[in-house]
Amino acid sequence: MSGVEEEENAAELKIGDEFLKAKCLMNCEVALILDRKYEQLQQMSDDPMNQISQVFEKSLQYVKRFSRYKNPDAVRQVREILSRYQLAEFELCVLGNLCPETVEEAIAMVPSIKSRGRAHDDDAIEKMLSDLSLIKKFE
Amino acid sequence: MYLKIQLEWNVLITPENLDPRGLLLQRSIIIRLLEEFANRKATKDHGYFLSVTTLEKIGEGKIRPESGDVLFPVRYNCLTFKPFKGEVLKGVVDRIVKHGVFLICGPVGNVFLSVKTMPDYQYVHGENPTFMNNESSKIEKGAVVRFVVLGTKWVETEKEFQVLASLAGDFLGPVS
Repeated sequence: MSGVEEEENAAELKIGDEFLKAKCLMNCEVALILDRKYEQLQQMSDDPMNQISQVFEKSLQYVKRFSRYKNPDAVRQVREILSRYQLAEFELCVLGNLCPETVEEAIAMVPSIKSRGRAHDDDAIEKMLSDLSLIKKFE
Repeated sequence: MYLKIQLEWNVLITPENLDPRGLLLQRSIIIRLLEEFANRKATKDHGYFLSVTTLEKIGEGKIRPESGDVLFPVRYNCLTFKPFKGEVLKGVVDRIVKHGVFLICGPVGNVFLSVKTMPDYQYVHGENPTFMNNESSKIEKGAVVRFVVLGTKWVETEKEFQVLASLAGDFLGPVS
């Protein structure tokens, strides 16, 4: 592991400037996009298997299995709710993917929400989790 | 983490695919881009390449005199997956050996959870070996495990990441 990689640490939100700016996506969002792409590729190409790689297929399988939210409206709501809490993109997606149930669990999954000096107090995190739990998980 | 990023690539179009009718040329360029994207698999910087999402711009083509091929610069958005150190992810148990557990996590085929990074768990020998802890939490083939990424290593020859996982931390381990 090279020196650069040693410094990377997602728990402290050190993932490289390039990726802090990149848009992170939750599993449920990736599932919606890949599903649509799969259909498009089937239609537009004579030989779709040329354009649907193993990486594509394995990822689709994974995000479908590990999406808490399937319905496009619910997926939109999750991002909307989490966006109210001044989270970094990366933090937002980890929370949306893992759906922690308690404040302790949320902090264990995303330690940076406590340690980045933005002072998310426990009440704010609690409120965020209860807002999330109101969204219907499955259609 | 799944990421949406913008990339610029050069796409090579052979003379027989150069059609004066613009739409057909554009189609050739897109198809070529999609094929190259699917074949590239992954890079160290951007992670695994999932899918092109939108095409932003096709630039001016440059002719290569020796072959007559034309090189088009193409800017597009795509989805990738890159594992980050410190990130918490879920994986599916693929194989269990004495010194640890191999997990699959989306496009990453070899996430390794070493016995050293799950000190609570003991290897249980058998036809279907498992790892168990004192609270009878069980890691078996097919189980889903929540882990934290301890480190990643890019292997250029295989074009893939090796991921070292750990269960040292709260709320990590097998999940139902």
